Amino acid sequence: MTAVQKRVFINKIALALSTLSALIALGFLFWILGVLVMKGVGALNWNIFIFEGAPPGNPESGLKHALVGQAILIGMATAIGVPLGILAGTYLSEYGKNSKLAHTIRDISDIMMSAPSIVIGAFVYAVVVMPMGHFSAWAGAIALGIIMIPVILRTTDDMLQLVPGELREAAFALGAPKYKVILSVVYRGAKAGILTGVLLGIARVGGETAPLLFTSFNDNFFTTDLNEAMPSLTVTIFNYATSPYEDWQQLGWAAAFILSMFILGLNILGRVILFAGKKRK
Amino acid sequence: MASIIDIKEECALHVRNFEFTYKGAAAPSLKKVTMPIAKHSITALIGPSGCGKTTLLRSFNRMHDLYPGNSYAGEIEFEGRNILGAKEDLIHLRTKIGMIFQKPTAFPMSIFDNVAYGMRLGGIKNKTELNDRVEKALKDAAIWKEVGDRLKHDANGLSGGQQQRLCIARAIAVEPEVLLFDEPTSALDPISTQGIERLVIELKERVSIIIVTHNMQQAARVSDYTGFMYLGELIELGQTEELFVTPKEKLTQEYITGKFG
Repeated sequence: MTAVQKRVFINKIALALSTLSALIALGFLFWILGVLVMKGVGALNWNIFIFEGAPPGNPESGLKHALVGQAILIGMATAIGVPLGILAGTYLSEYGKNSKLAHTIRDISDIMMSAPSIVIGAFVYAVVVMPMGHFSAWAGAIALGIIMIPVILRTTDDMLQLVPGELREAAFALGAPKYKVILSVVYRGAKAGILTGVLLGIARVGGETAPLLFTSFNDNFFTTDLNEAMPSLTVTIFNYATSPYEDWQQLGWAAAFILSMFILGLNILGRVILFAGKKRK
Repeated sequence: MASIIDIKEECALHVRNFEFTYKGAAAPSLKKVTMPIAKHSITALIGPSGCGKTTLLRSFNRMHDLYPGNSYAGEIEFEGRNILGAKEDLIHLRTKIGMIFQKPTAFPMSIFDNVAYGMRLGGIKNKTELNDRVEKALKDAAIWKEVGDRLKHDANGLSGGQQQRLCIARAIAVEPEVLLFDEPTSALDPISTQGIERLVIELKERVSIIIVTHNMQQAARVSDYTGFMYLGELIELGQTEELFVTPKEKLTQEYITGKFG
């Protein structure tokens, strides 16, 4: 074998191995999605949206409690995480810039982003649940909001920095005060990116289970009382899927399918908005 | 040493012994610059890269104040006061001294909102007045014919030359006394450049103009006065024709004949 033939041979082996690895990795992904779709779609029916949880064996059982609870928890978490994340990101990009404080905040935020979510759940348990004396939707939403902050903070910071400096200068040159420059020019220039960050932040907390286990806990019945334990799709999936009852397991599959489609949809929408925003420029 | 013409007509600005130092720099980037800027005429600033012409231009509307740590010395007189004072109202100053940048800076909003931006900052809310003044500014900037029927469209859909004229419309809509142009055509094609140059000449009826350019031919085509800068100093200021035909300074002569650049 000549030197060139040897190199071609090694190249072919490397290519084959990496292609195979990619296929195996993607294979698992599609396997998961495939099982989810097969089992989940089969378990879907209108009762799911009409009825709340019921004891096993009751044909009038559904997921209304978990769907509404999930929506309330995510809505409240968004109301907490989005303003804090966007304002903090604005501080970093427009005021802090390269100062020591700004870099420290960025580092801490990055660490927070990879912190195990169960730790944040434990923290909220200690500072909210314990003093209140019981689980509550508030505690769950605060835990999810905290998890959301670093995601939105970082994307807001990055997206605002992508707005060209000349655009800010042009607004200043017309006599605009700084807050107007940020509100009317910088935010507008970065709105697609910020919106994408918000959607990804929501998607990030949508699938969280661990921090809810000891904050909003769970409930098998419909409730809108924010001071009580609140059902969520994720904890409901955990409870139903690990139960020995066939009909609860079916509901668990349906919940898993709905949640996955919601998060997949958010991710796709985020990408579409970002792509459309880029194309316009 | 420097040869500065004594301008007989009324002046918009007077620069006297002006020095500018960037944050952390050991030496000033502009040294003892003294120059009068004639009213309702075009003054061009030329010179090799790094000579300080843009730095000087950005001093007139105190753009350097956006970045902390820079310092001014000397005097720039405008409307009877030194605008370098600590108490100068920069927001007011920038409505009186507008600026056009090298790259077009259309804001991410509609054409109408772009032109109305400065007026709205000034507190004009009346719809009819806004409409009238937007139309007038766009006409004055010679772009009304192209965009008059699509004012609600996104300004980023316009071509580079159109965006630059839109920026000029936006700047003149607030009726400034002085307009600063920072290499306004260096990102444009020759046809758009011609359009902008024609527009700049028309505008001097109403505003005093200072234009920084890399392009000596452009300075010769549009300006009444030309200042040649080198290493942070104003070497020569004269009537454009004289400066290009019979420069008084050897450095000016060498620069305009292409001996360095």
